[in-house]
Amino acid sequence: MPKKQFIDPGKVRKPGKITFNSIPVNQYNREIEEERNQYTDDDFLRIYRDMFVIREFETMLHEIKTKNEYQGLAYNHPGPAHLSIGQEAAAVGMAYHLTVDDFIFGSHRSHGEILAKGLSAIHQLDDDALMQIMSAHFGGRCLRIVEQASKGSVKDLAVDFLLYGTLAEIFARDTGFNRGLGGSMHAFFTPFGVYPNNAIVGGSGDISVGAALYKKVNRKPGIVVANIGDASMGCGPVWEGISFAAMDQFRTLWQGEYQGGLPVIFNFMNNQYGMGGQTQGETMGYDILARVGAGVNPEMMHAERVDGYDPLAVIDAFKRKKEILLDKKGPVLLDTLTYRYSGHSPSDASSYRSKEELEAWLEVDSIKGYGESLTKSGVAGESVLADIQRHVKELIYNAFKLSVHDDVSPRMDLRKSPGLIGEMMFSDGSQDAMLEGEPDSLMPLEGNPRVKQILKKERFAFDKEGKPFSKLKQFQLRDGIFEAIIDRFYKDPSLVAYGEENRDWGGAFAVYRGLTEAMPYHRLFNSPISEGAIVGTAIGYGMAGGRVVAEIMYCDFLGRAGDEVFNQLPKWQAMSGNIIKMPVVIRVSVGSKYGAQHSQDWSSLVAHIPGLKVVFPATPYDAKGLMNAALQGTDPVIFFESQRIYDIGEHFHQGGVPKGYYEIPLGEPDIKKEGSDITMLTIGATLYRALEAAEILEKKYGLSAEIIDARSLVPFNYEPVLESVKKTGRLLLSGDANTRGAYLNDMAKTITDIAFDYLDAPPVVVGARNWIVPAHELEDYYFPQAEWIIDAIHQRIIPLKGHQPVNDFSDETMLDQSKKGV
Amino acid sequence: MAVPVVMPRQGQSVESCVITQWVKNKGDQVNAGDILFSYETDKASFEAEADVSGTLLDVFFEEGDEVPVLTTVAVIGKPGETYERRPADAKKPEESVMEEAPPATTTDNQPQEIPGKTPRASGLPPNEGETGRQMRKRISPLARRIAAMHHVDTRGIDGTGPKGRIIERDIRDRMLSAGKAGTSFVPEKQPPVHSTASIDGAIASTGGYTDHAMSNVRKIIAAKMAESLQTAAQLTHHISADARKLLALRKEAKENSVQTGGISITINDMVCYAAVRALKKHPGINGHFLGDRIRTFDKVHLGVAVDTDRGLMVPVLKNADDLNVQGLSARLKQLANDCKEGVIDPGLLSASSASFTVTNLGAFGIELFTPVLNIPQIAILGVNAITYKPCDLGGGTIGLIPVIGLSLTYDHRAVDGAPASRFLSEIKYEVEHIQ
Repeated sequence: MPKKQFIDPGKVRKPGKITFNSIPVNQYNREIEEERNQYTDDDFLRIYRDMFVIREFETMLHEIKTKNEYQGLAYNHPGPAHLSIGQEAAAVGMAYHLTVDDFIFGSHRSHGEILAKGLSAIHQLDDDALMQIMSAHFGGRCLRIVEQASKGSVKDLAVDFLLYGTLAEIFARDTGFNRGLGGSMHAFFTPFGVYPNNAIVGGSGDISVGAALYKKVNRKPGIVVANIGDASMGCGPVWEGISFAAMDQFRTLWQGEYQGGLPVIFNFMNNQYGMGGQTQGETMGYDILARVGAGVNPEMMHAERVDGYDPLAVIDAFKRKKEILLDKKGPVLLDTLTYRYSGHSPSDASSYRSKEELEAWLEVDSIKGYGESLTKSGVAGESVLADIQRHVKELIYNAFKLSVHDDVSPRMDLRKSPGLIGEMMFSDGSQDAMLEGEPDSLMPLEGNPRVKQILKKERFAFDKEGKPFSKLKQFQLRDGIFEAIIDRFYKDPSLVAYGEENRDWGGAFAVYRGLTEAMPYHRLFNSPISEGAIVGTAIGYGMAGGRVVAEIMYCDFLGRAGDEVFNQLPKWQAMSGNIIKMPVVIRVSVGSKYGAQHSQDWSSLVAHIPGLKVVFPATPYDAKGLMNAALQGTDPVIFFESQRIYDIGEHFHQGGVPKGYYEIPLGEPDIKKEGSDITMLTIGATLYRALEAAEILEKKYGLSAEIIDARSLVPFNYEPVLESVKKTGRLLLSGDANTRGAYLNDMAKTITDIAFDYLDAPPVVVGARNWIVPAHELEDYYFPQAEWIIDAIHQRIIPLKGHQPVNDFSDETMLDQSKKGV
Repeated sequence: MAVPVVMPRQGQSVESCVITQWVKNKGDQVNAGDILFSYETDKASFEAEADVSGTLLDVFFEEGDEVPVLTTVAVIGKPGETYERRPADAKKPEESVMEEAPPATTTDNQPQEIPGKTPRASGLPPNEGETGRQMRKRISPLARRIAAMHHVDTRGIDGTGPKGRIIERDIRDRMLSAGKAGTSFVPEKQPPVHSTASIDGAIASTGGYTDHAMSNVRKIIAAKMAESLQTAAQLTHHISADARKLLALRKEAKENSVQTGGISITINDMVCYAAVRALKKHPGINGHFLGDRIRTFDKVHLGVAVDTDRGLMVPVLKNADDLNVQGLSARLKQLANDCKEGVIDPGLLSASSASFTVTNLGAFGIELFTPVLNIPQIAILGVNAITYKPCDLGGGTIGLIPVIGLSLTYDHRAVDGAPASRFLSEIKYEVEHIQ
């Protein structure tokens, strides 16, 4: 909290009341005649065409799903098809005034939005720009397919390209917009400003805010639209995204041209159903969705309900709202009322709605109604509209024919190239900066008080006699992280860092102390206590082209960002066909002392999820080198830090932690102590307990232990560990994650598979108990201790002469505990 | 009725053979006695003849296939006749490595495999088979490997690992307590192979070379030699013996054989004879080092290295101590010829069939070399060329006399330097006093 904002008790305790302004509902009420000064006849007809393109595209998919054919050509599409038949006016109206600089994010039901935004972009771009975009996409592969059959202008070609690329993507073809890896619910095409659609309801609710943050921080033109469903109003990430977007600080604390609201519209495509649940009247309580805006900020998010069955009403609304955003008064909430005739999916029997209701909406169908008003006002005769329909059907059929042809549109050959998708999980880039330019800062790096203070510290923990310097004098692990991050702040202008208490406080564990003085608000700020939005916005920020370090204050709070960490962050690089990069580092602090909800090591959970890199350094040297590597890369990295050792000095790296820049490649374990009789592989702060155990083993039992610090979980190079195990014949693995399902078991299994013949006993995993983490005073019974390690070695690997074990590592106990589920 | 053609069993120790060439092809007319195919064992090659006449209806293995003995490889019959397909392989050519070693108390004076038991790969103690498995002895993979490598009998070891598992230190203790050179115990280091790789990398890029596939025999020799040098603590002592008597006898024998048409006794025959006599006086050398014990033999089973076109072969002359020099000479010649013609009984080629080996490079003018142990044998004698050496002839006269070089390689794990030297001196004595 900034000191300059004084919370005056006299003011805040004063009696008063909150008043609300009214929220417009379906206020647009203009006829075609009245809009002729805004639109040419061609514009009116183009709106009609775009709506019909969506209608026919979705109808085609409906036919395929229900009848396995379209216009006589048979095809089976086993994948999803969440159709938006009935919602065309909302999509076309939304896209009409958006440029390619304006990004839209979607939902599982966004085919219409892709097409509408694509058609709008094609209309706006000149031929050269279109050709350039089409030839650049996967080396023109998609273009070459449509080029042969396409007749007419470059714009016609681009329409074919759009239809084909989207459809081939839906059908999982290698020639689709995302090489078939996105599919129906995730298809997108960034050159037209179409950003990922999202199969998780409300998934775009916070990701889109991150893209808006990117535009603001990096002064990029354009706005961001989150097209999400009405039912997503019930999702935490959407609320968190709204909270984040509406933070006061954008107006009160951000300075100069950075001051002002985020350029984002939360556009609720309100088709009034969340699958079969009626949002108004059953599953939500807002009566009219737009009402929600009233509670968010004094501007009431400029909320409005607009009739999504009238394309001109939606166009009008977006024109006005876009102006608000460009005026830096966002965010905006739009409740775009619409209706879908098709079910949630083809398997939906519509048991939740009456025939009468469906018929009533068909009666006011937007395409029918808009068409009638066009003929009534004399913009076009019925035959013109019929011609448009016939032409569109032809285009759709042609795209369909091409996209289902296995020779023209093959799928990825995973038999021939089994590693193809695996190679796409990471971009493995190395980039000093994601954007060019001079990084904004408040002072030169050398002038920073923390930088100066650190320079006086001892970069190796021990003096020449081997005596440790005092803790305060030692260069600590937190200093290592700080040095890497501040260095990158001065290298990469796109880098931003945020999380809870990151500014002023300097992070709950003082990693960022000194950073507040160095960085302006738009590069370092406090977020709401919204872990979902912290990670979600970081994803949007990275996806849009920036680099970001987001912080989760306690590992336990990762659960609050579950969807973002498990479903979003790891997926988009591969799901985009490697078009998107994700230079996002999530710092996760692993606690202790604070009991069951503040002390868990969940590194195993994230290591399980494909698409994330996971590191857990335990020394200042490793922390700095790994953070440097993480920040140089272009992949999502979950960067674990143990609160137990933020203050640890450098015990291993001779010569101390280098002052200059260096990287430690992700995935390389490090031998911290050489030995010959047993290998101990540790993750995180357990390294120091293993070292204690090694000392006891050596002094008391004459066993020499080799200690390897895993440093990374994903990726991981097993070779040094295997070499060690082949030498010692024995292996113990330890870390602070509770034992059941711990990643250590995976490592033990892999090593056993490869080095079985070299083992003198099965590897033993010594993790934490499968309990709640108890109070600090009882923690020694929960987390692995040196004594446990000795006991486990004695009982399971090599009995130690004269040793009296205290902890029970017997088969019987293991089996018994397992039976009880602990 | 169609008649199956089976892979013959060539000797007790042979479990499988490699088909080297099909002389007849599927569909060919064959007569009884025609050569159907050639095949080879570890050390010899053979040809299989058709037992019956007819059409070669089918062949079930290709050239290069390793076929367990007594397996049906082909079938001969009348065209169109039905025949049984080749039954699924009854057993793999090589059973997994033994779990148990033979009883430590064995005093069997025959190093040959015991008839009726499944033969094992030579050099490895026979498997106790099912009993060993049923016992479910706990032994760590590492301990098992080390025991196998050093021929340590794991039976009777009380494992000190968890649940009585035999672990590495138990094997190490057993090796130490058995009086073996504990210091020679090398854990799991394999011989470095990187040198070949790097040479290959350096020179291969310049081209101008040919890769030669290795014959079965070559591969066996390679493995055996490498194993010998890796596992045994071998070293070589050299001595030279006055060869005047040898040369005199040789001359006499040569003249005799020309006159009588009888066999001509060679220098090598005489040295072999001397060695056999020396072995009788030094029974500690006449045996095998078996890791946890030393087995000495009552009789001398003399292995003799023979150079053939197919590579080095070492046939054994059983009970060599029963023969006089003439008998010895005759039998050695027969064995050498059998080897050269590839008709030697493979059972006589196993290293464990012999109790001691003599190898001779004297014919090549070699004056000194270090023979490689034919493990598990404890020692091997190398015979060198005859050279001339100054010698005190008595009466203040120094003259040149012919001497023959003798090089004894022995396994220091089994024998110390002094007894080995005494044994070598004994051979020298026998050579110099040969009758």
